[in-house]
Amino acid sequence: MAKTILIVDDSASLRQVVSIALKGAGYDIIEAFDGKDALSKLDGRKIHLIISDVNMPNMDGISFVKAAKQLPAYKFTPVIMLTTEAGADKKAAGQAAGAKAWVVKPFQPAQMLTAVSMLILP
Amino acid sequence: MNLDDALDTFVIESRELLENMEAALLQIEQSPDDADLINAIFRAAHTIKGSAGLFGQDHLVTFTHSAENVLDQVRGGHLAISGELVAVFLGVCDHIGTLVDCVAEKRPIPEEAQARSVELIQRLKAVSGEATPAPTTTSQLVEHVAPEAACVREGGGEGVETGNWHISLRFNPDVLKNGMDPVSFIRYLGTFGRIVSIVTLTDALPGIAEFDPEDCYLGFEINYETEADKAAIEAAFEFVRDDARIRILPPHSLVDEYLALIQSFPEEDLRLGEILIRCGTLTRHELERALETQTQARDDGADAQRIGEVLVAQNLVQPAVVEAALQKQKQVKENKTGDASLIRVNADKLDEHINLIGELIIASAGINLAAQKSGQPDLLEAASLLNRLVENIRDSALQLRMVQIGATFNKFQRVVRDVSREIGKDIRLEISGADTELDKTVVEKIGDPLTHLVRNSMDHGIEPADVRLAAGKPAHGTLRLNAYHDSGSIVIEVSDDGGGLNKARILAKAIDRGLIKPDQVLTDDEIHGLIFEPGFSTAAQINNLSGRGVGMDVVRRNIIALRGSVEIESEEGIGATMRIRLPLTLAIIDGFLVEVGNSSFVVPLEMVVECVELTEAEIAASQGRDQLDLRGEVLPFIRLRDLFEIDEPARAHNDQRHSTGAEEDLATVLQPVKRENVVVVNYAGHRAGLVVDNLQGEYQTVIRPLGAVFSGLQGISGFTILGTGMVALILDVPGLVKRVARQETQTHPPARALPA
Repeated sequence: MAKTILIVDDSASLRQVVSIALKGAGYDIIEAFDGKDALSKLDGRKIHLIISDVNMPNMDGISFVKAAKQLPAYKFTPVIMLTTEAGADKKAAGQAAGAKAWVVKPFQPAQMLTAVSMLILP
Repeated sequence: MNLDDALDTFVIESRELLENMEAALLQIEQSPDDADLINAIFRAAHTIKGSAGLFGQDHLVTFTHSAENVLDQVRGGHLAISGELVAVFLGVCDHIGTLVDCVAEKRPIPEEAQARSVELIQRLKAVSGEATPAPTTTSQLVEHVAPEAACVREGGGEGVETGNWHISLRFNPDVLKNGMDPVSFIRYLGTFGRIVSIVTLTDALPGIAEFDPEDCYLGFEINYETEADKAAIEAAFEFVRDDARIRILPPHSLVDEYLALIQSFPEEDLRLGEILIRCGTLTRHELERALETQTQARDDGADAQRIGEVLVAQNLVQPAVVEAALQKQKQVKENKTGDASLIRVNADKLDEHINLIGELIIASAGINLAAQKSGQPDLLEAASLLNRLVENIRDSALQLRMVQIGATFNKFQRVVRDVSREIGKDIRLEISGADTELDKTVVEKIGDPLTHLVRNSMDHGIEPADVRLAAGKPAHGTLRLNAYHDSGSIVIEVSDDGGGLNKARILAKAIDRGLIKPDQVLTDDEIHGLIFEPGFSTAAQINNLSGRGVGMDVVRRNIIALRGSVEIESEEGIGATMRIRLPLTLAIIDGFLVEVGNSSFVVPLEMVVECVELTEAEIAASQGRDQLDLRGEVLPFIRLRDLFEIDEPARAHNDQRHSTGAEEDLATVLQPVKRENVVVVNYAGHRAGLVVDNLQGEYQTVIRPLGAVFSGLQGISGFTILGTGMVALILDVPGLVKRVARQETQTHPPARALPA
């Protein structure tokens, strides 16, 4: 069974590009446009990996990851954070929230694929 | 490198390590606190484990790993050495030996050895007080591999896999909570290489009561085959870097590649870490970690470790690669200094060069003489040009051997620091004149006497702090080293601001030792000189520095052997200065050639002050006292003719007629009256006159030492060969001056001694 990845980003084009790349590699994709929307998608279904942006309206990435980690079903789900810059304080906050993996924007789809496959293989 | 060769090396190395381990184990019962011994045992186990991993000897890795864990506890002070512990480890040591034998014979590990491994691991756990986890068997240990990983394993005795990487992973307990699945990283490795074998280390598993299902307790040893480089492998673990200890050891076959790569680098000034990163054996991240470890160790007050040592100790890089990188670094550095237009020349070559120049000087003197005899203007001109050039060459050649005394002085910073701590005095060292140059041969030989003088000053000269404070001096003593040039000599001074020499005590001691008679009257200099007499020592207490009375006379002997002298200037309560005077060079000097009868003598030119005529009137005025009134000053003189018992000049002139030119002959005819000259020499502030027959003028003198037969000879310090092939003796001016001064004090009371 294909593994499911949740992509959280307010940019539709980014979601699209990443989806195409990951779908091509054999993953199933669920999209969410901000933290709140993403939380609503965490309804108990099996999600193998979360990819989340940091800066988003309504609920930012770090708050979302923190909230997600509170949910028993997603406690052990790996998280890849997307950032525009590798700001040390942001990174520390993200790590405290439970996100250990980071990919810096802008990135090539192939880079994202590599990062994902380090954590889960399709 | 052949794989079988590498395996042989491993076997030999392991056996050696096991021998060391056994020896250390046997010693450690007697001295359980000896950290070196514990480290030796730990190192042996650690190194064997590391190398065994490279050869895919998983059983050996697993077993040694358990032993290493217990040793680590001992090393960390968590576990005390006991008889039982030593007994278990002797068993472990033997068993590792058995396993290594299996490797050597390339046969699988037999059942009973595997059983023995299990038994010993249980015993290790028992002695280390560790709760025994769920029963473990070796077969489980070895074959409990991550089931999903694409791994191939065919029993413990699988062939030598040196062509493969060895990856050692230890995950932190929190890794699962962070959403990281250790297995996913191992699986990812499978996307760009082949996992040949994998060993899961379960020794960190706690008892069931403490077991937390959300914690990760596993470690992995992975034998991995890939074309990728180290950085790529490390990148696979990018997201768990902070949550795991990762060691990636390159295959043996790659080590040679690294070595070749390091050699081929352009010559740039790189730091060790940069070289290793560049050749791919070390990743930047690993280097950062190692640097952190190094800094932390330093902050913890541990002994400073070099970065290379840290890298090897952490199993990040093979020692051979570090060695090669260091070699490269050194090579670059040497070539760099070469860029600063410096060449390193073997000292022997330089000595040979100077010897040849000595010969050249003698030869050119011969040509000069022949030219003068022939009287041909062209030849005379050519000869004088040649002479001048030879002189220049001599100077520049001698300059080659001149080195600054600073390096020698700086060594004493450490000596003074150590000794002052040892004797409990606060003494500071001040250095001046460090750029003064002197002959390399002299520098080499002056170290020992200087050390003696420095230690003597520190020990006897500088008083303890309470005495100093009572005398109104600062509590810390000051020792000064100074050097300067003075009329063709180099002077080295060792001075202190201590109590000075105690004349009364020296006299008492000298009388006690029978060095002088109780009623003898001595000048201050003579009293000070007594401390250089053999067997003299005034220290009330013998300590390990000075006080055995062997130091100072050896100092004087060494300095005299260098054609130098040593004198003391001391003022009680203020301090003392030991002054060493040495010739600038030991090979070639500017000389002043004189004749007495038909013998030639050379006086070192730098000691000649002036030449005056000794008239009959002056001889009469001196009233047979061998003194001369030199512009109102009394100048004692010495007659070389009497001193060396040379025949009367009449015969000498006859001889000379044959040996020298017509001009000389003419001079004799023109001045039939007996005529003498006085060469006024100056040495260390003392003046004296040397009475000779003829003055020949400046002469480049190549000093030849006298043979051992003549070592007792007084007044002569060497000889040289003249252009005519005749031999001229070099006068020992310091000796002669001292002789004159002594005659003076013997004929006159000390108070009237010549002013120094």
